[in-house]
Amino acid sequence: MALQREGFAEVEKAVRGVLRDVLGLSEARVAAFDESTPLFGALPELDSLAVAGVLTELEDRLAILIEDDEVDGDMLESFGALTRFAADKALR
Amino acid sequence: MIDWYDWSGGREAMLRFGPATGPVVLVALPLFEEANRTRTFAAALMRLLAGRGIASALPDLPGTGESLTQIEETTLSEMRAAMGAAVDHLGARRVHACGIRSGALLDPHAFVRARWHFSPVEGEVLMTELLRIAQAGKSSPASDDAPMLVGGNLLTAAMVAELKAATTDADPGPLRIVRLDSDPRPADRKVPGVPLWRRAEPGHDPALAALLADDIAAWVRACEG
Repeated sequence: MALQREGFAEVEKAVRGVLRDVLGLSEARVAAFDESTPLFGALPELDSLAVAGVLTELEDRLAILIEDDEVDGDMLESFGALTRFAADKALR
Repeated sequence: MIDWYDWSGGREAMLRFGPATGPVVLVALPLFEEANRTRTFAAALMRLLAGRGIASALPDLPGTGESLTQIEETTLSEMRAAMGAAVDHLGARRVHACGIRSGALLDPHAFVRARWHFSPVEGEVLMTELLRIAQAGKSSPASDDAPMLVGGNLLTAAMVAELKAATTDADPGPLRIVRLDSDPRPADRKVPGVPLWRRAEPGHDPALAALLADDIAAWVRACEG
């Protein structure tokens, strides 16, 4: 349990880093993201093309594979939802 | 300065920096949209190399930059052949290839002293990324064996087939791989920095450029022995 929590923090850090690097957001801005921070539809930087970049970069950094039919509005709805999706993949 | 080189299909421009003698670092930008996102960075890297006494060249390839050939008229093999012609133009014994991202797919068939790759990506992975981008703006899924429009570049079925099979490690010979420290894939060195090729707006990372210029300069000098 303790191990998994540790892994989750790593994944969350990776998701934060990907959003910062791909969308060109400031360190301070992504540091303020929490579980409920809305993403798709709320961040103007996150258009459908940028989504492709975010997903691909997440795949690279977490060594996971995201299938296209797994990508929907729900997983991109909030920072918490995206992090949970990535953690489910990476910590399997 | 602007130089030119001839390949079997025509003449292309080549941007050159640094001294007229000694080794030349031949830079291959990533293919397609990522080229636009990394050109400023690559040019900065070349100026920094010149400051370290090392010459470099950045050729337009068929279908890129100022080339009169359209992207849909060309193939990966033709781009590789043009890269080979650029190597001949510079003098094969002097050339060290520097492939950025999918630019690393362009050099295996060119005869060079040594190769240096930054965050290289295999053809199959590149195709997966391109398909995802092509689908981002569409309701119907793209097929991977038909002509594909990706960010304004029309890729023919022949180009798609070649890309899928392309690898960065086809040839033996000295090769150094550098990646960002956020990238878990194996490398000779990991460096801090941001993946500029993912940015919708072109960005720059001067600290990363300086670090890579030092790395390339040391690698070239070590290979020249």
